[in-house]
Amino acid sequence: MNHLTAETFDENARQALLDPQLRGALRHLAKVFSERRKTAIHTVPDWEALREQARAIKDETLAHLDQYLEAFADNAAHAGAQIHWARDAREACNIVAELIRERNAKHIVKSKSMATEEIHLNQMLEAAGWSPVETDLGEWIIQLAHETPSHIVAPAIHKSKRQIAELFVDKLGIEPTDDVSMLTGAARRVLRQRFAEAEVGISGVNFGVAETGTILILENEGNIRLTTSLPRVHIAVMGIEKIIPRLVDLDVFLKVLPRSGTGQRLTAYQSLITGTKKRADEEGPEEVHIILMDNGRSSMLASPVTRQSLACIRCGACLNACPVYQQVGGHAYGSVYPGPIGAVITPQLVGLSKTAQLPFASSLCGACREVCPVKIDIPELLLHLRSEVVTAGRKGTAEAPAKRKRIEGLLFRGYALAWSRRWMYEWSGKVLRVLQLPMVQNGRIGKVGNFLSRLVPPLGAWTAGRDARPLAPRSFREQWFAQYSRKP
Amino acid sequence: MAEHQNKVVRREILESIRRNLAASKPLDAIRSEHKHPSIPRVTESSAPAGLTLVEQFCESLNAVGGHCEVVTDITGATRVVEQIIELLQARRIAVSDSQLVARVIEKMQSDVELHTSASTAALFECDLGITGAQWAVAETGTLVLESERERHRLVSLVPPVHVAVLQAHSLRQTLGEILKALGENHVLNLNRTVTFITGPSRTSDIELTPAIGVHGPGELYVIIIEHSTNE
Repeated sequence: MNHLTAETFDENARQALLDPQLRGALRHLAKVFSERRKTAIHTVPDWEALREQARAIKDETLAHLDQYLEAFADNAAHAGAQIHWARDAREACNIVAELIRERNAKHIVKSKSMATEEIHLNQMLEAAGWSPVETDLGEWIIQLAHETPSHIVAPAIHKSKRQIAELFVDKLGIEPTDDVSMLTGAARRVLRQRFAEAEVGISGVNFGVAETGTILILENEGNIRLTTSLPRVHIAVMGIEKIIPRLVDLDVFLKVLPRSGTGQRLTAYQSLITGTKKRADEEGPEEVHIILMDNGRSSMLASPVTRQSLACIRCGACLNACPVYQQVGGHAYGSVYPGPIGAVITPQLVGLSKTAQLPFASSLCGACREVCPVKIDIPELLLHLRSEVVTAGRKGTAEAPAKRKRIEGLLFRGYALAWSRRWMYEWSGKVLRVLQLPMVQNGRIGKVGNFLSRLVPPLGAWTAGRDARPLAPRSFREQWFAQYSRKP
Repeated sequence: MAEHQNKVVRREILESIRRNLAASKPLDAIRSEHKHPSIPRVTESSAPAGLTLVEQFCESLNAVGGHCEVVTDITGATRVVEQIIELLQARRIAVSDSQLVARVIEKMQSDVELHTSASTAALFECDLGITGAQWAVAETGTLVLESERERHRLVSLVPPVHVAVLQAHSLRQTLGEILKALGENHVLNLNRTVTFITGPSRTSDIELTPAIGVHGPGELYVIIIEHSTNE
């Protein structure tokens, strides 16, 4: 059972670091995903140009989101889809529940959708008495285990083969096995039965094409095709930022998403669904419902820094590249979306007061920015959110989390005052060089120095694990002027 | 959800979008002063030298675990289907309503139960599903099927093996060409469901170890008929 919250990220992270099985799984994930992605990127002539194109398309769409969204809704409706609008998670859940209730449906299958995780749809449906069955293998595994996904693309990646085998033995009564294809075969057999009986299929949406009202959903397993073809009713939950303008725009995204997400050139299946079937005797659901959900997205449009959050295509590449995620995994973030993208959108979706530690869960190394297929500048966003946290802390507003330490504030003010004047900077260096002398032992600052630094909290974190080095006998500036000019 | 309430929410969401975009305008202006939007270069992928579309397709399909057979005519295709049935010891075969498939199956000598327009229940009992394909993409080894030109959705998905028969002239180099063709005149031409199939069904959800044949077919055979017929 894991229901950690973002409020305790620091503590969650500390606990995660003590879990050797988790850390092994994460090491494996980082290595495999990185290799697969690298190989896949070399199969296109100009990866950087693709990223630029993808980002340009998203920027264009977001700058006119209202127009494109309306066009999408009208075109999809024209082709027979029923369009529902939801301002928040509660409304979206209620629409789904109402649709199921009105049709007296019992058997519900679901394909993987982060949007439905975001609104906690399964919890709501179960509380109302239904038993929706997840059909994506990874999602089904964590459903059986009563857990939440720990990765955007590979939800059960924190679990070892052995743990999954034990789970299947326990819940399905299969013979114990170590063989991945046997485990997969067991899942196939059980879920096929669910597909055969399904009356309602719930899916997400990867892209909504404004020009045609088409939704595109991509996958490898085939469960999405089954979920959207077999039941009488198909309900698709879609964040409003999933819109792209034209059908041909899909080309760029179908090039960057599979490569970034799973290191594939293309996933096994893409379904392009436009409205409902034209004739009753054709295959497919009788009803197609698309729920267009806001849930905090429209407010992200209010500044260019935050607007780029909405360009995310949920590939998970940033998670795989992030040194923090690689150490602590997804559950430590305590939010539906983990990793770098989670650290920036979760505070925007649910507010900073409960998620103030997340923007600080980063060393700003920028690896996420480098791998993002739509070039989201995540470090920029992290800094923006950090400044909001600090500002809120200073003002003591309702958004304020724990107040940032006074000392840090004073230190920075002192630093700015002193070191923006050249003479102060030079003389403080000279003074510190004298003051440090008693503390230097064998070329390192000894225990006295470390003790002193613990009084100054930010410095204390550094010296907890390493010795400080003393200042050099002459500063760089002094050496430079001695070498290259007459006067310092 | 009541029609009226839905309209109200629609209006509110659209207004929220407009309001927030408007609030962003002054900041956008500042940002564009500092960041110069780059003009994306058009990326053209070049065909590997010397390979025909058919050869490229076969290479791409093999790379993702599919099987590709190239034959000269319908008779050749029939023979390949017979071989596949023999190999799999298949007994119940589902076929789509493709005319090309009908012609391939016509002269087939295998002793099997043929199901045309099979019910869902029957499909779950079938060993093999045979469809055509309206297009194929050489660069990726992808089949493109359109729901109104062929009843393909379940026949190509439910049975554990999928066999697709297509003519060489349906091949295109890139997926982009297909999307362009689908998007042109979309009001008339875009079928309600278009399915792209690239190889057999797969997953890496358990320890990132690849497993083939999860919910969709675990085996995909594509038979390409080189000589144009009147289909």
